[in-house]
Amino acid sequence: MFKRIWKARSGYLFILPKFILFTVFVLVPIVWSLFVSFQEYRIFGTEWVGLRNFIDAFQDDLFWQAVSNTLRYAVVVTPASVIIALVLASLIHPLRAGAQTFFRASFYLPTVASSVVIAMVWRWIFQTRFGLANYFLGLLGVEPINWLHSSAWALKSVILMAVLTPPGTGIILYLAAMGSIPDSLYEAARIDGANRFMQWWKITVPLVRPTTLYLLIVSTIGSFQVFDRVMMMTQGGPGYATTTIVHRIYNVAFRDFQFGYAGAMSMLLFAAVIILALIQSKLVSSDVEYKG
Amino acid sequence: MTRKLNIFLVLVLVLAVSASAFANWTGTITLWDCPRWGNEEDDKFHWIKGKIAEFEASHPGVKIELVETPWAELGEKLSVAIAGRAWPDVVPVDISGAINRSHLEQGVVEALDDYMTPEELEDFFPGALEAYTYKGKLYGIPMSMTVHVMILNLDHFEEAGVEPPENGRWTWDEFVEKAKALTFDSDGDGVIDKYGFSTYILPGYYEAWPFFYMDGAQPLVDNKFGFNTPEAISAIQKLVDLKFVHGAAPIEMGSSDVGGTFRALAREGERFVAIQPWNTWAIATVTGEGVNHMPNIMIAEYPIGELGRPVSIGGAGGWVIMHQRDRAKMDVVVELVKFLSTTEEQYTFATNYGTFPARKSAEAMDPFADQPHMARAAQMVEFAVPLPEHPNWAQIDDRIQAELQLIFAGEKTVEQGMNDAAAQIERLLR
Amino acid sequence: MKRLRASNVGIAIIYLVLIVWAIISLIPLYWVFTTSIQQPDEVAIMPPKLIPSVISRYLPLRLAGEKEAATALVDGALESYRLLFRKTQMNRWFLNSLLISISATAGILLLDSMAAFSFAKKEFPGRDFLFWVMVGTMTIPGQVLLVPMFMVVRELNVVNTPWAVLLPQLSMVFGVFLLKQFMLTIPSELIEAARIDGASEFGIYWRVMVPLAKPGLATLGILTFTSSWNSFLWPLIAIQKSEWFTLPVGLKMLQDQNLVNYGLLMAGAAVAAVPMIIVFLSFQQYFVKGLTLGGVKG
Repeated sequence: MFKRIWKARSGYLFILPKFILFTVFVLVPIVWSLFVSFQEYRIFGTEWVGLRNFIDAFQDDLFWQAVSNTLRYAVVVTPASVIIALVLASLIHPLRAGAQTFFRASFYLPTVASSVVIAMVWRWIFQTRFGLANYFLGLLGVEPINWLHSSAWALKSVILMAVLTPPGTGIILYLAAMGSIPDSLYEAARIDGANRFMQWWKITVPLVRPTTLYLLIVSTIGSFQVFDRVMMMTQGGPGYATTTIVHRIYNVAFRDFQFGYAGAMSMLLFAAVIILALIQSKLVSSDVEYKG
Repeated sequence: MTRKLNIFLVLVLVLAVSASAFANWTGTITLWDCPRWGNEEDDKFHWIKGKIAEFEASHPGVKIELVETPWAELGEKLSVAIAGRAWPDVVPVDISGAINRSHLEQGVVEALDDYMTPEELEDFFPGALEAYTYKGKLYGIPMSMTVHVMILNLDHFEEAGVEPPENGRWTWDEFVEKAKALTFDSDGDGVIDKYGFSTYILPGYYEAWPFFYMDGAQPLVDNKFGFNTPEAISAIQKLVDLKFVHGAAPIEMGSSDVGGTFRALAREGERFVAIQPWNTWAIATVTGEGVNHMPNIMIAEYPIGELGRPVSIGGAGGWVIMHQRDRAKMDVVVELVKFLSTTEEQYTFATNYGTFPARKSAEAMDPFADQPHMARAAQMVEFAVPLPEHPNWAQIDDRIQAELQLIFAGEKTVEQGMNDAAAQIERLLR
Repeated sequence: MKRLRASNVGIAIIYLVLIVWAIISLIPLYWVFTTSIQQPDEVAIMPPKLIPSVISRYLPLRLAGEKEAATALVDGALESYRLLFRKTQMNRWFLNSLLISISATAGILLLDSMAAFSFAKKEFPGRDFLFWVMVGTMTIPGQVLLVPMFMVVRELNVVNTPWAVLLPQLSMVFGVFLLKQFMLTIPSELIEAARIDGASEFGIYWRVMVPLAKPGLATLGILTFTSSWNSFLWPLIAIQKSEWFTLPVGLKMLQDQNLVNYGLLMAGAAVAAVPMIIVFLSFQQYFVKGLTLGGVKG
């Protein structure tokens, strides 16, 4: 066993610097959080309470409401954003360089502009009285919808906003991946009589599977952790209709000062998402190499 | 023998050193502050920097480290500092928000009763001290007081031909009548586009709450939930009816949209609501320069309900001293906080920052002599009641406000909403 | 090969939709820049003025001989920027952010590519387990980790220094995952060939993997720079002295207690957006294809 480790030492050495930083700044805090989730965290001395925080989480009606809201959000937004990224990247990829740059920039740059501004834009779109959405509905003769402040529509509005926001990161990732696919593969397919769509379906899509897996997992994590953008739109309301898991965790940690309880909920979130991620990695095997 | 002598000498030395340290403490005090009003260079921290320089000059060896913090994130930053056991010495908060009762329970905040003489306390308004008192102990020094008032757009009143309430006082029925008259179609397209009243509902904000107290209810009475009592339900129902039965409030009323609500009152070109309740900071904004300047306003009280007198909700702002291990340092920190909250400083705050002083002597200097609206608002402080004092208040408030949002969206009746809240709140009260 | 009319029309419609969507998604950026040069009393009107007064009215005023009014217009437009830069520490904050973000990007590109190479192409006991542990940690929401990270940073005595911001950024894991997926697609034969030719492991990394992974590296560079540049909450918590504030933190400090000054907000956002746009435009040229097969000799 140790001989194997010595033989493979370059593998360990290459990950070592990263791993040290990772351990100190990521792993240690997470382990702290794990320990705290079995305690009732207090400033002067804490108390071990075993599984009580976890039991409380299971009996917490707000936690389950948050789980339900977050699931409804993730189930739509994750696949939508990955698929939309793939489709848009595929449409942009064959264009010439200047057009590509324009589309890459226009889909990615807004995400860096300012989330505050983006929230303002969407709040204006969904405003009940003077908003763009209801204006268009009015033109079609439809009654205005209380987008952000009715239980029926609040979560749907947030989901709609997420889906309609172009997935800039996904698009540039797919474009980078598609850029590495050798032209020779497409040549061969064309010679074999495949049309554009078949080329896309049989070559591009399978070959970008590694990126697809990455985006699926990262998107899943992101959807389950959604908080800021919902906060800015609806503050979690009306009632608790748009309260998400991280929002609940945040309130418990920073408003109620119960870090142990918050830690327990985070551990539950972690368990659920890591299982999903492992399932996804089995379904989308990224064993792909580009051969000339 | 020599050994015992050595130990004795060391002990004497230690005592001597610590005694002198006790006499004249030196070291660093960490003080957090947030942006206040700017000077010519628009430095929004110039006031605190000036005070720090003065204090350091008169206390050689004492250094004050200023940590500039934005208002919105003050709570988070402080929570992390407290949980990380690296808290500052002085923080500009009250004890109902970023620092709340559960912090007090855990002993993270210093009680100041031993450091204030009865004469000093006498100069503060009882409401201000109340806001900083928990279980009989004082946990901070108040700098300013806040109260909620009703702001009336008199141009809108004029346009509708409605008389404002005399001297800003009105009964509920008068209020409803006027609100209805202020709701009309101003551009003749058949759609009502101006409304009499609006407000918002958001956890941690209490503009709408005096309406719920109007008939005599309180959220917590003798440690029992008080908003599902007949007085509470009748009061909440009245406000709900204002929206759904009398149609005097727009659909946005009761949502969580703070910015939109304020724009509907104050923003030039977007005004369509005549009456809104706001905390007193809004008075400074609508009387100051800029797009929110309202040329013609009146400050009014909340309407009078069954209780027979107007009600408002008040609070205080000021300084809190965090737990100190070194008692010699504590003395100096207390001195610093008192230095920052003198009568002159509270007067300065009142005239420059638009807050009501917490000291009677500062108020006696008449800082609002030329600001009639602030003066009128100051008169309402006597009707102000503080928020309940429960350690779990933040969670209780969250539940109540969540139900209120649903009630005002028309999705639940008042009874349903408050009874649903009651079940959860019983647990929190134990 | 004759193409059907219908499919031509279909393609045209698809691209039309694409262009419309692209233009619409530029609206927030456009809003930022135009609001920052709006006249003080026209800032954040709803609905917003599509073309700021300074652009639409300057020429007409000059042509009509109204020189003063025209100059006043320009003055008004620059008011937000003037407010922004009056705060003398703006330059310092900008530099702090620049320093940290450039270091973070360089550091991440180096460390993550090394680690990704290892995870993608090397065999060693525990490889997959370690990898999934790293990825798994991404699922813990950052808010929960604020407190323990704060304690770690205090223990290491780096509170109040740029290290407190830089080191946690260097420990982010998503880059390793991202680059691993890119490097998976690089044919192993190239590595074998290089090894047979006697190249050291580091040589293989530097001469084979890095050039071939350029698109992935460029993407990661963009993502890292923007994430570092925009990061707000953690720098706010970890830094106490105002001279070490990063740009987003400093900009927030200019906002009052109760009401948002939109012109100032947008001017700050505009200034903050410029470096990110520059980084994006410079890095994205590396997305070109053709750097791959056939060009690398062992």
